Amino acid sequence: MSLVLAATNESALIDLRAVAKTYETDTGPVHALARVDLKIKRGEFVSLLGPSGCGKTTLMSLIAGLATPSEGEVRIDDMSIRSPYTNLGIVFQNAELLDWRTAIQNIMLQIEIRGLDVKTYLPIARKLLAQVGLKEFENKYPDELSGGMKQRVALCRALIHDPEILLMDEPFGALDAMTRDQMNADLQRIWMQSKKTAILVTHSIDEAVFMSDRVIVMSARPASVVEDLQIDLPRPRSLDVRDTPEFNEYTAHLRARFKALGVFSND
Amino acid sequence: MTETVMTQIQSTSAKAVTKKSKGFGFLVPVCSLLASVLLWEGIVRFFSVPVYILPPPSSIFHTAIAQHQYLLKHAISTSWAIFLGFVWAFAIGIPLATVMTFSASLRRAIYPLLIVAQVLPKVALAPLFIVWFGFGMFPKVVMTFLIALFPIVIDTLAGLSTVRPESLMLLRSMGATRWQSFWKVRLPTALPHIFSGLKIAMTFAVVGAIVAEFVASDSGLGYVLVDARANLDMVMVFAAIIWLIVLGFLFFLAVELAERLFVKGSSHRRSQELGAGL
Ligand SMILES: Nc1ncnc2c1ncn2[C@@H]1O[C@H](COP(=O)(O)OP(=O)(O)OP(=O)(O)O)[C@@H](O)[C@H]1O
Ligand SMILES: [Mg+2]
Repeated sequence: MSLVLAATNESALIDLRAVAKTYETDTGPVHALARVDLKIKRGEFVSLLGPSGCGKTTLMSLIAGLATPSEGEVRIDDMSIRSPYTNLGIVFQNAELLDWRTAIQNIMLQIEIRGLDVKTYLPIARKLLAQVGLKEFENKYPDELSGGMKQRVALCRALIHDPEILLMDEPFGALDAMTRDQMNADLQRIWMQSKKTAILVTHSIDEAVFMSDRVIVMSARPASVVEDLQIDLPRPRSLDVRDTPEFNEYTAHLRARFKALGVFSND
Repeated sequence: MTETVMTQIQSTSAKAVTKKSKGFGFLVPVCSLLASVLLWEGIVRFFSVPVYILPPPSSIFHTAIAQHQYLLKHAISTSWAIFLGFVWAFAIGIPLATVMTFSASLRRAIYPLLIVAQVLPKVALAPLFIVWFGFGMFPKVVMTFLIALFPIVIDTLAGLSTVRPESLMLLRSMGATRWQSFWKVRLPTALPHIFSGLKIAMTFAVVGAIVAEFVASDSGLGYVLVDARANLDMVMVFAAIIWLIVLGFLFFLAVELAERLFVKGSSHRRSQELGAGL
């Protein structure tokens, strides 16, 4: 058993070793991350849950190499990350689509910047759009798309170059509950097809449990990992899984955890 | 399928509506303009206002057309001054704003100079220009350049800093170079702002060229204006003004056409809203 564990540990794709981050600001240092140790395996779907402002986005930008840790080390594929790690796709809370580019042109930005062959990837972009149900919208500008559609386009853009890692920072936070459910179902389907290593930052306990193999709970700032919860629900999960006692056990447990952290102090 | 048809129908009907309202919106100012010209003509005739005080529009238009050879020659001279001054302001203003965006110390160094150059009454400089540059095209271009530079730099500066940090993060995660980020994201994001700056700069440029011609030139519509007034030829003064209005309008139109060409997507609409405030 311990042998197996050691083996899985070694195959961790993303390895955060005692990572701490302090921002130096005009008003003094802000300790965002206290000390985070975290290993994420190849192909795993991991959610980061934590109170607002605790450092989830910071953690994500450290993994992407968009920021450098003040202490400790981020390793991906056994390489220390000191500059932007580009074998990944990112989806932000606001889709960050460029206003002057159509849906498909926004997706192809990824290809243009990387200097990949546009002709090869154009059909792939179309296929991705069809997969998220936006076949008819490839020539629409962002302001002709709904919030959910924009996030789908952003997801396509994050996937088109077939990266190893998919990072999502509250991608569905601004969507209404129904669109969000649909997006969760779609994302699960796409993730199961592509088998990417996925990290999802979310504020929704239900979303975290529904989507993930593992839910990481972070404390308030300066953040550290306070719980690492394995979610053993069979896949593919239908949205109905949220009505099962097993699912509710997980969410109840996490809710209690947050209460203990003082996040839901007013109820 | 039905959805696309629906959106197509919607978009065409939306276009029809805007076209209709545009056509109607175009008629109103034309009518009011026509009415005021007629009123002007009526008043001048009814009270028999002397021509050297206020000539009737009919004789102004007559002169504006009959003397077109003389006026065109000077209009071309003025146009060159406007064009060259504007192009210089563009060619120097955009890179200047760009370096100011990327280097805080350069920004701090250039900003005060720019403001001094702006608040300085440039009309007062015109007599100096005669001393320094003599008569002719050069002082006109310098004046036009000086007046057009400020709005271009200020608006480009504002535009280049409107980019969202997340957009830049996204680009970095794609492995983009600074140059790629600038070219693909920062500059296009700034374009609507840049174009509002260019529009203001263009109207300023016309003023700049005329002011220079008032003082330090022997050609151009500004010179025609001064010369005609000295001869109490008020009809010619007004005819020159009409040519100036048309000239300024054409230059402005050119910038707006360029904007339509270069600014796509929703930022186009946004910039049109901004432009509507002018
Ligand atoms: N670039 C920065 N400079 C200075 N301080 C920063 C910077 N980025 C984040 N912070 C600070 O670090 C802390 C953590 O921020 P972060 O954005 O990582 O939190 P978060 O968990 O993503 O929050 P939210 O759930 O609201 O998105 C906050 O207190 C924030 O003010
Ligand atoms: Mg965040």
